[in-house]
Amino acid sequence: MELYFAGIDIGSTMTKVVILKDGIITSIIGPTGPEHRRLANKVMEDALKKSNLTLDEIAYIVATGYGRINVPFSDKQITEITCHAKGVKYLFPKARTIIDIGGQDVKGIKIDGNGRVNDFVMNDKCAAGTGRFIEVIAHTLGIELSDVGDISLKSRNPSTISNICTIWAQQEVVASLAEGIPVSDILAGIHRSLADRIVRLISRLKIEDEIIVTGGGAKNKGLIYAISGLLDRELRVPNEPLITGALGAALMGKEILERSIKSNIPIEKRKRILEEVEV
Amino acid sequence: MVDEKKDIKPKKRSTATRAAASIGPMVKEFITGTLKARAEGKQKLAYTFIVCHHDEILRAMDVVPLWTENFAGICGAKRDAERFLQRAESLGLSRSLCTYALCGIGFDQWREELGDMPPNAPWGGLARPDFMISSGQILCDPRTKWYQASQQFMPDVPIYNIDLPYPLFQRDRDHREVWDYYHKYIVKQLRGLISFLEEQTKKKMDYDRLSELVDLTDRTWNLIDETYSLRKAIPCPMGTGDAMNTMVPLCFMMATETAYNFFLDLKKELEEKIAKGEGEVENEKYRLMWGGGLPSWYALNDFNYFNSKGASFPVETTYRMVVNLNEMDIPQTNDPVEHIAWRWLGFWTFWYDKAKQRPDSEPDVERLINWIEEYKIDGVVMHEAFSCRTWHVGLLWQLHQLSKIYKPIPIFEIGKDGEKRKVYRELPSLVLESDIIDITSYSEVDTRNKIDAFIETLESIRLNRAN
Repeated sequence: MELYFAGIDIGSTMTKVVILKDGIITSIIGPTGPEHRRLANKVMEDALKKSNLTLDEIAYIVATGYGRINVPFSDKQITEITCHAKGVKYLFPKARTIIDIGGQDVKGIKIDGNGRVNDFVMNDKCAAGTGRFIEVIAHTLGIELSDVGDISLKSRNPSTISNICTIWAQQEVVASLAEGIPVSDILAGIHRSLADRIVRLISRLKIEDEIIVTGGGAKNKGLIYAISGLLDRELRVPNEPLITGALGAALMGKEILERSIKSNIPIEKRKRILEEVEV
Repeated sequence: MVDEKKDIKPKKRSTATRAAASIGPMVKEFITGTLKARAEGKQKLAYTFIVCHHDEILRAMDVVPLWTENFAGICGAKRDAERFLQRAESLGLSRSLCTYALCGIGFDQWREELGDMPPNAPWGGLARPDFMISSGQILCDPRTKWYQASQQFMPDVPIYNIDLPYPLFQRDRDHREVWDYYHKYIVKQLRGLISFLEEQTKKKMDYDRLSELVDLTDRTWNLIDETYSLRKAIPCPMGTGDAMNTMVPLCFMMATETAYNFFLDLKKELEEKIAKGEGEVENEKYRLMWGGGLPSWYALNDFNYFNSKGASFPVETTYRMVVNLNEMDIPQTNDPVEHIAWRWLGFWTFWYDKAKQRPDSEPDVERLINWIEEYKIDGVVMHEAFSCRTWHVGLLWQLHQLSKIYKPIPIFEIGKDGEKRKVYRELPSLVLESDIIDITSYSEVDTRNKIDAFIETLESIRLNRAN
């Protein structure tokens, strides 16, 4: 009998669910609000509805992301570092380096041929170098976040953004606008600045091909172009770069259950209830 | 990026040994003792630093050491360093300087301004010194500049600086070719310190007493080495979390019977635990090495967090500032000052010969490799404290060198039974990032997320080995 597995990734800005059978059958992405537990229920309900499944039919559920402890129905919590590695390896068997550009942090992950994490680095102390940085700048320039990448690629003369602090860079952008510098040049400069921060962080790892970029930042073509230029290497981006953590979580669940069956050692599972949670 | 409230008093850290649990009151008593000595005015008090090998000289002259780094660490551990750091910043000093020094300078300025201890100073505060003994060595530059900065607020307090160099490692040279010169120089420095102390205390050095204290220190060194070596046992009876407590008698009470007796008790306790098969953690799954860096004093609970995941720390390089003198190849002498100088040189060159025998190795790396093997280590954890330049650069380089030796590829090993088997010599590492006492650089959520990911990596390797 084919079993179903679910992975739920509660990131700082987005929550993702993947339901897996022999391949991905459903993936859902929704914004993370302040009420993690309620949202976890909601997103999982949506995913189950879309898959025409009930929670009882899911053999194993793994939660990941920084909100992973707030998923009351998950059987296990695993860090997003391990889950991204697993998810990326599934999509790109030759992957060795992962750059995950999230809403509020950036990670570099080195994996081996089996998708195991060899090393990792994280920027978790500063908004500079994260998706939040781009959001702030897009807001300052009055443009949609989804348009940022395309506009920046039109630049012919990228400006220099020397401040690495998000707040000071925002001021520098305002000053550049006042000088009449085109928005495309400012955005290209912002992407270079961001790429510089990201590349410096991940250079602490021994970067090897293939390099896969995940997270919301991977959807920004201008940023991918800037990172690729600095590294002088080709970068690969999944079709849906936000779900690799949730996919990895579902795959981890599959692996755990299969190992349990093989070794005949029972594993602990949580009650399958989407409980009402008071927040 | 998660920002949690940082002024909440942390949960009290649990220790594996009774000895480590006794350290808190011991430090408090020590600080209270210095304040009492200040009030009584019978003894001279000196600001000074650990690992200067001058402990016996100070004790023989009845000088009360005020370990300024220790006091900054206490402020950090009590999560009460921020106001002193801010005071130093208000003097124009950058937060990127050594935060021990900043905390001390901020505290000194405040105390001197008030003519009294700052309000609610941790454990009564740091007493005003009669003089300051600095020593930059090759180890740490703030140790030379710190007291010069503090002297601005205490212009009547003299500074004596001792210079304690040692020959740097050269693969193609034997350090013994030059160490006589170093020895002569260090002896001169130490004799200079004695003259300074004689002048300050108006007393002559009692060399018989000094010899006794040197002998006591030698015996304490050997005892500590024997005691800490017991941690090779599986399961490990005492971890680095406890060692961050037991460093107090090691670093701050050397050349005292108290320190010697403390380690006698600890040794007995560890032997008892080993006999009963008691480990630091109930089900030891991973054996980790604290491979360098000063700890985050406000976050020692992180060691308990590692423990909760089945990880024990049988060994650490930080504060393991002794080696067994029976294994140290140094010239014999009956002169206590000359012996101190030889012991200094012997300590810092201890791993030189072994490092030369291994391609790509260096003394610091050699020590890591030896202990990884002796203590059967599964992974290395280091801490990059942003304000500690001394450790910062070397740690990453040491990890880089280690990664050349411990690679995630299978190798074949011939077992005792003559069977050839596939083993993995993989050694994952984790670099934690924050500071020694600046809590604004620390996030418990993010730190523990990193620890979780590291434990998952260790588990994955363990499962891979089992298959």
